[in-house]
Amino acid sequence: MRHTVCLVSDFFYPNVGGVEEHIFNLSQCLMRRGHKVIVMTHSYNDRVGVRYMTNGLKVYYLPVRVFYNQCVLPTMICSLPLIRNIFIRECISIVHGHSAFSALAHEAMLIGHLMHLKCVFTDHSLFGFADTSAVITNRFLQISLFSCNHCICVSHTGKENTVLRARVESNRVSVIPNAVDTKAFTPDPTHRSDDYVTIVTVGRLVYRKGVDLMAQIIKELSPKHPKVKFIVCGDGPKRWLIDEVRERCGLQDRVELLGALEHSQVRNVLIRGHIFLNTSLTEAYCMAIVEAASCGLQVVSTRVGGIPEVLPPELIYLTEPDVPSLMDGLEKAMLDLKEGRAMPPYECHRKVSSLYNWHDVTQRTEVVYNIVARDKSKALGSLLQCYITAGVLPFMLVVALCHLLLRALEWLVPSKNIDVAKNFDKQKQHAL
Amino acid sequence: MARTKGSGKSTAPKKPWKKILYGSREYPDNYTDSSFLQELRTNVHVHTVSFREAILGAGRVTNAICIVVLFSIVFVYLYNQLVDANTVFVYSCAGSILGYLWYRSQSDFQNGYWTCFYRDARMVAIFLSVGFASSPILKTLTETISTDTIYAMTVFMMLLHLCFKDYGVSPALVSSSLSFNAAIFGSICLASRLASSFHAFVLLSLSVEAFVLLPLLMVEAGRSLCILILVISVTIGALWSLSPPMTVFFVLLICFVNLICPIWFLKWQIHKENIYGPWDEAVVEDADNIVS
Repeated sequence: MRHTVCLVSDFFYPNVGGVEEHIFNLSQCLMRRGHKVIVMTHSYNDRVGVRYMTNGLKVYYLPVRVFYNQCVLPTMICSLPLIRNIFIRECISIVHGHSAFSALAHEAMLIGHLMHLKCVFTDHSLFGFADTSAVITNRFLQISLFSCNHCICVSHTGKENTVLRARVESNRVSVIPNAVDTKAFTPDPTHRSDDYVTIVTVGRLVYRKGVDLMAQIIKELSPKHPKVKFIVCGDGPKRWLIDEVRERCGLQDRVELLGALEHSQVRNVLIRGHIFLNTSLTEAYCMAIVEAASCGLQVVSTRVGGIPEVLPPELIYLTEPDVPSLMDGLEKAMLDLKEGRAMPPYECHRKVSSLYNWHDVTQRTEVVYNIVARDKSKALGSLLQCYITAGVLPFMLVVALCHLLLRALEWLVPSKNIDVAKNFDKQKQHAL
Repeated sequence: MARTKGSGKSTAPKKPWKKILYGSREYPDNYTDSSFLQELRTNVHVHTVSFREAILGAGRVTNAICIVVLFSIVFVYLYNQLVDANTVFVYSCAGSILGYLWYRSQSDFQNGYWTCFYRDARMVAIFLSVGFASSPILKTLTETISTDTIYAMTVFMMLLHLCFKDYGVSPALVSSSLSFNAAIFGSICLASRLASSFHAFVLLSLSVEAFVLLPLLMVEAGRSLCILILVISVTIGALWSLSPPMTVFFVLLICFVNLICPIWFLKWQIHKENIYGPWDEAVVEDADNIVS
């Protein structure tokens, strides 16, 4: 079955991260399998309007200002005419939103639902239940997922989390992991130092990535093992902590701070290392450890969120999220490396590429698309009924207003008067 | 890329499902195993509040309300000249000294008894002389404002004081300095209605005693039910002498705050359900002393 899919998220190129990577790779593979894919995101500085990316991937950068944390202000109605127009122009049949933090994705899914399109939502993150902000966001997710036909989570822990948070039926949630382009992450042991054991970390330097643990590890491991060097890759609000530890302990020659890197540069850093350290405090999937394992590094990681599900035990040293346990894990990895028990880099790479690839992810996503394509769309009445059961009555007004606006627009700008966009013709491009 | 899709059609017996992302491709992606949510834990750190604790917790609010009411009663007495300002001053000073002695007898003296006493006495002397010198200014500060506005403002300020007071729990709505300043501002408003600047001085020193010093004592006394009952009955008695209808309202208010609210709390705390699981963010211990 051929689908016309619109992938929506606030997070897309030129931003970098797991979600952005996922959307880009998924859309490329879907296009290769004959589907029509467009991407919708908000504008990034002067990147506004329609852009074409690799293989004619059409990206709509909506002229909406960023409100907070790379997200648009969820007004629900302001960008409605624009989003409706795009859906009609591109003859969209499936709206696929990404990331619970993306306001644009939720907005587009609601509008898509009211236009009787099918909606799929991929959740990339985990959320607790303990504090007020979590209570509020979870309720928002719940009301947003009423307008969604199927959910995709990136790990089984993520599925448990989403089912609890948003109270969706568990058979409406599929688990499809992320993947890694293993061809771009090949090992090259010749770049490794023979005199030193190099420990690499890659990731934003924020609290959730466990920068505090990382700083403590650097502080305690360095005096114990003089033959260890660190490469810290990434930037963020907690960078000062690593800087401070490096200054105070006089480790300028042994801790290399590289700052934020292009995703294409990450491999060049990874191949210099022997061991990859991940200190995340919460993580739904963690692409970084898969990339590292694909480059042939031994991975030492905290056992949080979905991480235990990601790699088979022979590729990863799992530890508790505290300093002594992480130290044990690192020392064990170093001992294995010294005594030659560590898995050779190329074997590591072969193993990871047999486990994860984007084509597999795409096929599994296609299964979901086929399921939702057969779904009957919910009538407005039953959708409103759902909000009553959730106890969020004011949101019914928003949905009703959106519906009325769509009706008014249908009268003002009938969809038959909206031109259908021509599809990108690959042959023509080659002819040019 | 051979993979079984949809519900399993293979005839071979399936391997048991495992919670891993690499492998077990025999199951459809939306398969839910019986082990789903097995790691879910509820109410791990919940502390069940007993009836006594609930009453005493609400008692802190009651105490604060009583202090505000008692302060207002003294103002009414002074305003109507039912009591001499000298008497109020002497009694309040005597009460403060007794309270001070009791308070100091509880604390330990690191720098010796006399140093501590000297420091406190100097503080009191400075405060009294500055207060006495500035009371004519404070009295005339809000004199031109109409009496109705003054009363409305005072009521508003005292409500603010009660809202932002620190009752021992830490929600977003706590600011000791705002609470204290609101109370003092309310008393300055009231001071302008009194007969002389000495009256104003007495009222202001009383307000400092009531809103700054008395809560220090009340923290110590907050664990006893007897003191709570004593404070309530004194307030009721004093209020009865001024206005019986108000006393009825007051009693109803106290019943609501100190009886109905704790009962509601106890009734609803069984519905508490905190969810914990592998998705929770790990907590870093001693993250503050990494750089030291």
